[in-house]
Amino acid sequence: MGQVEAHSAPGAQHAADDRASEPALIEAVHVTAGYDNRREHTRLIALRDVSLQVRRGEFLAIVGPSGCGKTTFINLIAGFVKPIEGSVRVRGEEVTGPGADRAMVFQDYALLPWRTVERNIRFAMENRRGHVPKAEQAERAARALRLVGLTGFEKSYPHELSGGMRQRVGIARALVTEPEILLMDEPFGAVDAMTREAMQAELEKIIAETRQTVVFITHSIDEAILLADRIVVISKRPGTIREVIDVDLPRPRFDEQADVQRSPRFGEIRSHLWSLLADEALGAKQEVATR
Amino acid sequence: MTETIQGATRTNDQQNGQQIESIEVSRFARFKNVGITVVNLAVFFVIWELVARAEVINSLFFPRASDMFAALFNGFADGTIWPQLSHSLTNFLIGLAISAAIGIPVGLLMGASKIADLILSPYVWAMTSLPRVALIPLLILIMGFGNSMQLTIIVLSAVFPIMVNCMAGVKTVEPSLVRAGVVFGASRLQIYLKVILPYTLPFVISGVNQGIARGLVGMLIGELLGGGGNGLGFLLDRAGEQFDAPMLYATLILLAVMSVGLVQAMRWLEQRAAPWRDISRA
Repeated sequence: MGQVEAHSAPGAQHAADDRASEPALIEAVHVTAGYDNRREHTRLIALRDVSLQVRRGEFLAIVGPSGCGKTTFINLIAGFVKPIEGSVRVRGEEVTGPGADRAMVFQDYALLPWRTVERNIRFAMENRRGHVPKAEQAERAARALRLVGLTGFEKSYPHELSGGMRQRVGIARALVTEPEILLMDEPFGAVDAMTREAMQAELEKIIAETRQTVVFITHSIDEAILLADRIVVISKRPGTIREVIDVDLPRPRFDEQADVQRSPRFGEIRSHLWSLLADEALGAKQEVATR
Repeated sequence: MTETIQGATRTNDQQNGQQIESIEVSRFARFKNVGITVVNLAVFFVIWELVARAEVINSLFFPRASDMFAALFNGFADGTIWPQLSHSLTNFLIGLAISAAIGIPVGLLMGASKIADLILSPYVWAMTSLPRVALIPLLILIMGFGNSMQLTIIVLSAVFPIMVNCMAGVKTVEPSLVRAGVVFGASRLQIYLKVILPYTLPFVISGVNQGIARGLVGMLIGELLGGGGNGLGFLLDRAGEQFDAPMLYATLILLAVMSVGLVQAMRWLEQRAAPWRDISRA
């Protein structure tokens, strides 16, 4: 994927070195966001006063209890939702809507069922914004399919594939546009445990190759630790940032020899995250009990 | 690398280590179902013939199958059936085409636009649930007896189920598919053409299917009660008045063949239009 590397900016390779000097790629400044409920004339606040910076080339995981506003945060970056207060900026510019620099991987895959795998991937290249010349589309699609290990399935329909394979198509579709930022909303939430682990290993490999900046939502503590450079823990609604944890485990983490999952450091981070999230989960329960 | 084992073709894809196996299905398998249907129908008509010959039921109400076939054959031979059949069929197809031409776009619009839905909904639902027969006196008053009145009742019968289905189709489009469209740079128009319309297509077809069923009822009541003096409904009416049971049954058989044929054609079209639908819901 020579082109991907070229596209994802020279800074990416050295992201670790000049973290301090380079401005953040994604920046949320005192963001409060929510949804209007028109029928009840109320507004549900999903996130309150969230400030966060995502560096170029970073893999950021967001964890938190259900309904804490994780998805709202990713939707803010994607440009689906506008903040009530504060602002979300990408490369210093205010996000006003979706853009070709940001691609998304959906939990339910969101593949067009009437299109073959190849044509689903082409969908990302044939629209008005981010249009890729026809001649180039086939080559790019083939490259993206090779990247996710789906060569040979070009002519298959999504319903003929397993959940894991469908999500690979979803990832290939997102990567084929060579976006700077990859937004992943619980991408492995709907696949079985075995496939999930294999997919995590594969995602690590893919991102090591394409060097995207990733914002990744997950329910799984282990998944967050295994994949992320930093983990943001969000409290229950209205979501605020509870803590940001640096994951200083060596990469590649899915290496048999390294066996990161059994390292003491992994255990430490895991139990720390667990205590944070258990607080939140128990807090939610107590609230229900006192009501 | 391809090897053939007892009719199954196994292909080893070296690159992925994937093994794909396809089993050859006999080419005659699909004729098996046709064969079963033919035998089934033959048995049905033989039993009919035997029961009628036993004269358990008055032959005035229940003629022999052979008499029914004779009436059918003679009817075509002496030209009593064909003009009526062709009149009904032409009327019905024109009516269905008009219904689709109005129903599909209006239904899609109602699905896509909240305002259109709000304004049109009460009328559409009232017309969908109102028994069609109730309109006959009014239509006769306005248009008199004849073709335009028969055509109108077909359209009024078929158009609303088509509309309602198209509307429902647009409303059930998965939001994440639309969001994927937005993320991957589709304009509003592109989202309509590439996401919403293909997703809605099976609903459109099932709407037309319901339109066919309702339209046939409309066609018959128009011909039976409208007194235009032509069509299969007229044939039924006349055969009844003349106590011509074989002809009555022959006409009913024709109607059954006509509706089954139309519904089957639509089913075929549905499978062509949305091969993914069947399997993904299974």
